[in-house]
Amino acid sequence: MEAEYLHATVDKFVFKVKTGCWYSKAGLWVRLEHGLARVGISDYVQQSSGDVAFAEIASTGTKLEQEGYLGQIETIKVAIELLSPVSGTVQEVNEELETSPELINQDPYGQGWLALIALSDWEGERASLLEAEQYLAVMRSQAEEAAKRI
Amino acid sequence: MSEPKPTDSDRVLIIPCSGIGKAFGSVGREAAYLVLEELRPNDTGTVCLSLLTMGDEESQQRVREQRTIAIDGCPKACARVNIEHAGAEPAAIFRVFDVFRAHKELRVQQVSDIGENGREMARILAEEVAVKVDELRGGKE
Amino acid sequence: MPDLPEKRVGLIACSGEDLPVGTVSRMAVLQVLERLRPQDTVTLCLPLFLAGEERERAFARFYPTIAIDGCSKRCAARATEHYSARPAASLVIDDFIAEKGLPEPHGLRQLDAAGQAVTQAVAQELAHEVDRLLGKKRPTVVEVEAQAPDAEGEPEGMVVATCSCGSGIPVAQLQVNGRRVEILALPAILDQFREMGKPVNDATAGELMDAVKLYNHLPNEEEAGLREAVLSEYTRYIAAFDPASATS
Repeated sequence: MEAEYLHATVDKFVFKVKTGCWYSKAGLWVRLEHGLARVGISDYVQQSSGDVAFAEIASTGTKLEQEGYLGQIETIKVAIELLSPVSGTVQEVNEELETSPELINQDPYGQGWLALIALSDWEGERASLLEAEQYLAVMRSQAEEAAKRI
Repeated sequence: MSEPKPTDSDRVLIIPCSGIGKAFGSVGREAAYLVLEELRPNDTGTVCLSLLTMGDEESQQRVREQRTIAIDGCPKACARVNIEHAGAEPAAIFRVFDVFRAHKELRVQQVSDIGENGREMARILAEEVAVKVDELRGGKE
Repeated sequence: MPDLPEKRVGLIACSGEDLPVGTVSRMAVLQVLERLRPQDTVTLCLPLFLAGEERERAFARFYPTIAIDGCSKRCAARATEHYSARPAASLVIDDFIAEKGLPEPHGLRQLDAAGQAVTQAVAQELAHEVDRLLGKKRPTVVEVEAQAPDAEGEPEGMVVATCSCGSGIPVAQLQVNGRRVEILALPAILDQFREMGKPVNDATAGELMDAVKLYNHLPNEEEAGLREAVLSEYTRYIAAFDPASATS
């Protein structure tokens, strides 16, 4: 039976990677739901960014390009620009984040989702994304690199 | 004629979280001490949160009998949860996070030294808490 | 306790708000975490034993833990033992002050000079205790100076943004006999076994179970099903890194 998450331990941190999603190298995940793509940030990105205070996501109807601007999260320490992992049109934005941005930290793969996107070129773009096992390796390298800088 | 000094049991208990892992925990603690030592020294008191965690009977009884204000540094809300676990309901709950959301220029980096930004955030929070203390005590000086 | 990678010592401070020695406990632990032994230590907010989840309460089962208390009520030591596991070591600052003939600290928000001196002394004592628990030699003066962080401030990166508590104890959920079971420390155990190059076979399954049982209470009737689930999870885990090594 497939486990829900893969894990990587780096330093005193453990990072979860949800199976069944695709990932950009920057750590945004994509999950297909009835032909639409729900996107969010990975556990590694939320842990390394800190407690989220604000989440500003492109509004409904916005046309996105892959690697184009999706939005920004501001934590108590940093502001991070988020680049969309897919092209398409924003159908829905997670309005809960307006009053409860901590959902991104508490449940990055679930209630902390950012946007629901109608895809415009999934077949063309899927190959450029990483499957969970591939992202685990990439993320682990990123985390190890970051740990060396301390 | 001066107002009678409040008895211990009249005091509002200000209970910050421990927040040893997060800078906002230190900010909340600083805010609590500002209220306790500078802004409302005669109207407030505190209880070690660790005593509540330990189930210390005397401390639990105090939070049940006196009004409490919880100050939490992160969404885990340890101060609020530990007060509730003692069988009490905080009269007010303050989140350092909400002060940051209103003043996001005040970024705080370190737990052990919150710096000027942290002290400013603590002062803003302390003044809000002091207003609440006055409200709870019915506006008495 | 198995020799897991990145072995660290846990520090639990009472952080008592109502006494100067509570502030000393907090400041001393922060010194150790941030300056004296940043790579060797991890902490947890004591009240999280009550307000948190199982992954927080597993703290002292996972890390050898030092409890640092301000006064004789010993909230940190008692809470750690009650909720998690008996601390590997314990220090009570009131007793330490008496034993070393140190001045009494004053101040809650800001410690006075005596309080700062006590904080320094406690921090050094804790650092030595950390070394002892990790089986390390005490560093020389030269090594201590070399370890001092850049006075300009914290470097950018993971530690700056994240909690000194780390991620909490890693937890994995597996399907065992048709139900979801939470296994503490499993991700770290799998990681260690993978790095040791343990093959996927029955012997490894036995070793995995020995490691799992150190952190989890398992009813006997669950063991056979869990053994199968753990080995299956290990197979999948190492296949993510090297598909060829997933075959026995």
